[in-house]
Amino acid sequence: MRIVEVIIASFIIMFALSFANMLAVTPTSPKYEVTELEKMGYNVLFDLDKRGILANFVYNKQWNDLQAALRVLLPLDVYFNLTVCYLNGTEVNEIPIFYGNRETFTSSKNVASVTYCLCGYFNSTINNADYDPRILILQLVRG
Amino acid sequence: MKIIKNGRGQYVIIAILMIAIMIISIGALMHRAVTYYRHEPWEEYLALIGNIELNSKRLVELSLANYSRTLNQSILKTNLEKWKTDIQSTYIGKGITLNYELANNSYNVYGTIIKYSSGLNCSWLQRKSFTAANATFTLDITSIGLTGYKFTALTFLNLTILSVSGRIINATVKAEYKMPVVGLTKENFQVRFGNTVIPILSTRSCYDTKEGIIYTIECAQNISTPIILEVSDSRGIKVIAQYT
Repeated sequence: MRIVEVIIASFIIMFALSFANMLAVTPTSPKYEVTELEKMGYNVLFDLDKRGILANFVYNKQWNDLQAALRVLLPLDVYFNLTVCYLNGTEVNEIPIFYGNRETFTSSKNVASVTYCLCGYFNSTINNADYDPRILILQLVRG
Repeated sequence: MKIIKNGRGQYVIIAILMIAIMIISIGALMHRAVTYYRHEPWEEYLALIGNIELNSKRLVELSLANYSRTLNQSILKTNLEKWKTDIQSTYIGKGITLNYELANNSYNVYGTIIKYSSGLNCSWLQRKSFTAANATFTLDITSIGLTGYKFTALTFLNLTILSVSGRIINATVKAEYKMPVVGLTKENFQVRFGNTVIPILSTRSCYDTKEGIIYTIECAQNISTPIILEVSDSRGIKVIAQYT
């Protein structure tokens, strides 16, 4: 009879343990995944912009360099797709600024999207200092 | 007696069981307390605020570069008006409102009295010349309850001709906070006598304890005064100074 009680007790303990584990919200929880990726995306773009690299890449259309910079700054398991647009929504980048598996963007439930705005860039070769904004849309997903 | 013993044994097991559940529950609570993931929604918006602040300051620099080339006094106001509208439409749904105020009075900026008009001013063709812009922004983001976040964009470039002798011009170039501008080459300078452009052979820079960085500009020919020296920094801001 006591053996049965011990078994029941063990089950209760196991149940309590699994219940406690279920309640715990970890950083990798889907609840926070999108906001984490958004934060990461904003920080990466802001960091590049603060160093003056982002505007240089975007306005001089150095898409390969921009892709390389994003690959260096983002973790390896984070896939990205960057689109550079004019204010009217027309795409500026002729080639895709992309890293990762395209299917992941369509299949994943946690796709983060970050919008970043640039006001203009002084072009010393043509002495142009006009207001010429660009909008950067960075999509992020964990692979 | 056996029945009593059996009964006590069951109570003991039940008690141990309850204590075990309590220990596990406390353990689970302790584990959660230690590994609690501190989620700060504010952090998500810091880079967004940084983006708007940084690019608003960049736009003031860009407008000043434009003003120093065209002397269009309304360029800053026109650009900031467009920026204000574009920011609202780009971040639609976030409730962003960016207001600005252009300086229109006299300000003492790093020891120089600057009388701004529409946030812009330049004092050229002096031995100590400058180009300056000043705008104060107020940012509201209603989606996160941020109101009245103020920041000032003060852009300044000063060119001072220290001496002129033979083919050599010594000058200093300083930006905001009287910080010496570094990395200027002969392409950044232009020397004129009247309307005649005098070719520059080389530009050197050396450190001086009093002035910071002094640029030594060597011209292709001997210079006679009054001489005009023009500088354009990496932001495209231009200043023209004259030595008589």
